[in-house]
Amino acid sequence: MNAQTAKIREIAKELLEKQEVQMVIGWEKGTFFYNSTPVFITKPEDVERLIWDEYCAVNLAKLLMDYRHVEGKVALFVKGCDARGINRLIQDKVIDRGKTYLIGLPCPGMKDAGKAAELGKDKAGEAPLEAKCLRCTHPNPVVYDVLVGEEVPVTGKEDRFARIADLEKMSPDEKFEYWSKQYDKCIRCYACRNVCPACNCRECVFDQGQTWLERAVERGGNQFYGLVRAFHVAGRCIECGECERACPMDIPIMDLHHKIAKDINELFGDYEAGLDPEGPLPLGMYKTEDPEEFM
Amino acid sequence: MKSLSKANLSQFLETMNSKVRVYVPVEQDGVSRFAPWSQDCQLVLDRNTINPPKRLFFPQTEELYEYQVDKQDASVKSLAVKPEPFVVFGMRPCDVQSLKLLDDVFLTKGYEDIYYKQKREQGIVISLGCPEPEETCFCDSWGVNPARAPLADIMMIESEDKYLLEAQTEAGEKLLADLSGQLTDQSGELPEGKPCSLKVKNEGLMEHLQPKFEDPVWAEICRKCINCGTCTYLCPTCYCFDILNRTRGKQGVKYRCYDSCMYPEYTLMAGGHNPRPTKKERVRQRFLHKLQYIPERYQELGCVGCGRCIKKCPVNLDITRVINQLWEVE
Repeated sequence: MNAQTAKIREIAKELLEKQEVQMVIGWEKGTFFYNSTPVFITKPEDVERLIWDEYCAVNLAKLLMDYRHVEGKVALFVKGCDARGINRLIQDKVIDRGKTYLIGLPCPGMKDAGKAAELGKDKAGEAPLEAKCLRCTHPNPVVYDVLVGEEVPVTGKEDRFARIADLEKMSPDEKFEYWSKQYDKCIRCYACRNVCPACNCRECVFDQGQTWLERAVERGGNQFYGLVRAFHVAGRCIECGECERACPMDIPIMDLHHKIAKDINELFGDYEAGLDPEGPLPLGMYKTEDPEEFM
Repeated sequence: MKSLSKANLSQFLETMNSKVRVYVPVEQDGVSRFAPWSQDCQLVLDRNTINPPKRLFFPQTEELYEYQVDKQDASVKSLAVKPEPFVVFGMRPCDVQSLKLLDDVFLTKGYEDIYYKQKREQGIVISLGCPEPEETCFCDSWGVNPARAPLADIMMIESEDKYLLEAQTEAGEKLLADLSGQLTDQSGELPEGKPCSLKVKNEGLMEHLQPKFEDPVWAEICRKCINCGTCTYLCPTCYCFDILNRTRGKQGVKYRCYDSCMYPEYTLMAGGHNPRPTKKERVRQRFLHKLQYIPERYQELGCVGCGRCIKKCPVNLDITRVINQLWEVE
């Protein structure tokens, strides 16, 4: 057991014993060595289940939504991306910061669980980081009540827009062919939406019968789904990469979100969502000097 | 029994494909599925596919009939088409067992689903046994032998530099006879494979679960579920679908499409009432359907232990761990 795991258990135990929070949401070990899975601790004696290791990739922020109406506080462990998810939910008026207790964990980046599974336990050390972690710009939590351990340097392992440079060079026909291939794989399980902290609508348009989109799983509908979701989280996407990690069909969903984020930077100035819950949203306001190419 | 040299597999598939359409497990754009054989396809034979082969018999989206309405006149034309015979090559024993469960649902209890039946009747199954199950596999806990598929037309298993094939039905014998030029006679018996490392206790599970509907454990189990449809859509035995219309003017098409008990809309009734209002009820439904309701109705477990849901659940809500947790409930 690493020192930080001991520390997070201690913190969780104290919070529960003193009844400062009624629940602690963290990670526990899952089925295999490469699975660390969300856990919900309500009794001090259960804190031994909590762990902090290189497979805690699941963003916990979204899970807090189920407890937004309960009495008392809920504590949550937050990496950089979880913390930005929390800011997302605060800014979208979904959760109340006063009802959360955030335990910050500087994150060295999580291992790619799929690759670790292929390599096996002995060689898992060689597994690369999750794609979402390679492009992470804020490994340290941007909001917390207490921080466990020292802040980690932002290593900038990969330029977050590097992967879309090739896509931008494509002709419109090539882009259409590329994205058709990707979204032809989509099975419309909505894992990308359900795992996303920015997808927090009370009722999603895609759950309103066939009002906006037919249930038929086919090229046009799948692309419509992907595009509508990408545009709906435009300027609000915290780039946690959970959509892409959760996708069972390996669709490079983050390429859409990164392209939109890059366009926003170019049009309205540099912006990263989920850093400041009070700041203006680039697409939630206007300035008279905003570009108006389409007018 | 016949044998086929591994070096000749491509030739074997090509020859078979010249007689009858062959579907094989392939990797395409980063995801594995069953697709029509072609010389340049990327075969995946070292593990099972992420997309289950049930899609060949029960596609995600399927047109049922066309309709036309003009004032008092209405007409309906079925779109059920009997396909040409086809072969599914390389289906794993767990997935072959899933066909038994789909047969139960679509072909028994007084109603035959013509759309499923036509495909099922025309499909010849060549099962590829697993010499060494993946770590997410637990089919043998449900009584499936990872190296045997009794319902397959042909059973095939890897043995060093060759595959051994045994016909198990008349259709299988005929197919092997047609391909005899590619095969060598072989004596002996098909080898057994290794057991699964992941295990669950099966015996008495249905009876154990019957009084657990209102148990508080479901409120615990459901907590991390994000209610996406990954587990249900990748499951080889999930069969729920919705029937929908695509109307354009006076005509249209009725089609069906997979639906998932994980979605709130699945049980939403006209008027707005939802008998499964939270994820607790939805998660309970998924597990009890597989482990209690299907066994009660068809005397078979509704899970075949393929492990796809374990592999792909974004939050590792693992059915084997859920079963262990349920066993702990008094």
